[in-house]
Amino acid sequence: METRRKFLTGILGALGAAIAGLTVYPVFKYLSPQATAGGKGRVTIPKNQVGVDQAHFFQFQGHPAVVLQKSPGVYIALSAVCTHLGCIVQWVPKKDEFLCPCHGGRYTIDGKVIAGPPPKPLPSIPVAMSGDNLLIG
Amino acid sequence: MGIFKKIGDFLDERLGIRDILEQNLTKYLLPKNINVWYTLGAVLLALFAVQVASGILLLVYYNPNTDDAFHSIQRIMNDVPYGWLIRTIHAVGANVIILALLLHMLSVLFMGSYKRPRELTWMAGFLLFLLSLAMCLTGYLLPWSQLSFWATTVATNSSREIPLIGDVVVRFLRGGAMVGQPTLGRFFALHVMGIPLILGILVLVHLFLVRRLGISRPPFGPDWQPSEPSTTFHHEEHPGGIPFFPHYMTKDAAMIAFFLALTVYVVFFAPGLFFPPASFQPANPFETPVGIKPEWYFLWAYQTLKIFPSEFLGLAVQGLAVTLLLFLPFLDRSRERRPKHRPLFVAGYCVGIAVFIGLSIWGHFS
Repeated sequence: METRRKFLTGILGALGAAIAGLTVYPVFKYLSPQATAGGKGRVTIPKNQVGVDQAHFFQFQGHPAVVLQKSPGVYIALSAVCTHLGCIVQWVPKKDEFLCPCHGGRYTIDGKVIAGPPPKPLPSIPVAMSGDNLLIG
Repeated sequence: MGIFKKIGDFLDERLGIRDILEQNLTKYLLPKNINVWYTLGAVLLALFAVQVASGILLLVYYNPNTDDAFHSIQRIMNDVPYGWLIRTIHAVGANVIILALLLHMLSVLFMGSYKRPRELTWMAGFLLFLLSLAMCLTGYLLPWSQLSFWATTVATNSSREIPLIGDVVVRFLRGGAMVGQPTLGRFFALHVMGIPLILGILVLVHLFLVRRLGISRPPFGPDWQPSEPSTTFHHEEHPGGIPFFPHYMTKDAAMIAFFLALTVYVVFFAPGLFFPPASFQPANPFETPVGIKPEWYFLWAYQTLKIFPSEFLGLAVQGLAVTLLLFLPFLDRSRERRPKHRPLFVAGYCVGIAVFIGLSIWGHFS
């Protein structure tokens, strides 16, 4: 009697778990961020949008990024997300550096940390030139 | 096991939870001859819960503005993982709820359970039915398809026949002269917040009344006799009856499983049953689709409006039917509940069902 009860309880538990799994899985997938959000491909930006010593902010793979023309014809692209707590860095042309307005983190034009709490440099993104456009990523 | 017992002891010491559970589960006795029709209340609670859960999930991606509403639904159906499942369950679930509500009301009518002292229980239940229809009507507009747009145009336009204030009512319902963004905004607010709030409160009132008065004994069997009228409150007890838990709750669970299986069957094997072609086209205020029809549960009303010479008369007949049903316990005051002792009522009951089905079929093919 006891064995049968345990067996039936086990079956019921397994069935309940299966139904719960079948219900929870679609809901989890439904609420999960979609893999395609933000895109994975390269970003094309016309060269004339990025003047010398000027920063151009754009979306790259779902995150803010920045491209600069360091000197005529030399471009650099970086993630614009501060490595401290995720605020968006600002370009300070007078000092040729990036400043994070949240906690005063400072980065060089190449993304290296100069001062403040950021633990890591800004990740760099490859830039290639194609005619009048920059191919970033 | 230890942790559950500890939690149980903790709650029991502070709230007497074991006593509450005992009084409402194992010591809550139901009539011996209770039948499967009494499970429909539990079935409806489960179905409403599914609607709430799927509705909240749809809100994550739905945009209630006329530029985006249709595309957001398309995105849910085509791009969001399992969006088609959530949305189809929500749409099919609404239809299954109306079916379960109709069966629940028909069983209550047949067994005379609406009679004194359960007049308020009936009225709360009937208002829940009307609110569910309002939920269906307001939800119908949200996908902003051709079907949504024109069904709402026709439905709101019917109010124009109300004497003196008809035009004002139509403009108020729509939030303007035509169905548009203001209509979508107010229907959205009603569908996701306004009506569910009232519906939730009414469900609690209905459940309180059911529990407070006790389950009515089915009027069948040789020893059933009409009760003596009482002028004081009386809770109907069923000594020697069957316990709610585990006996009747098992039957509840079986019927809930049946209705959920019915919903899932339609979702997987007939997903287009409640989606005619016009529901796949975005709303176009300049082009009415041919042969547009309301949902099956509104077909009787649609056909009634068509067969009466004036729309006002059709509306008046519908209003009269609804009012009569709402106040039925105060009109039918005899203590007798056994169907075989109520031939006139049973005849009217059968004719009523036949008229409902007949008008619906006529409306479908007209």
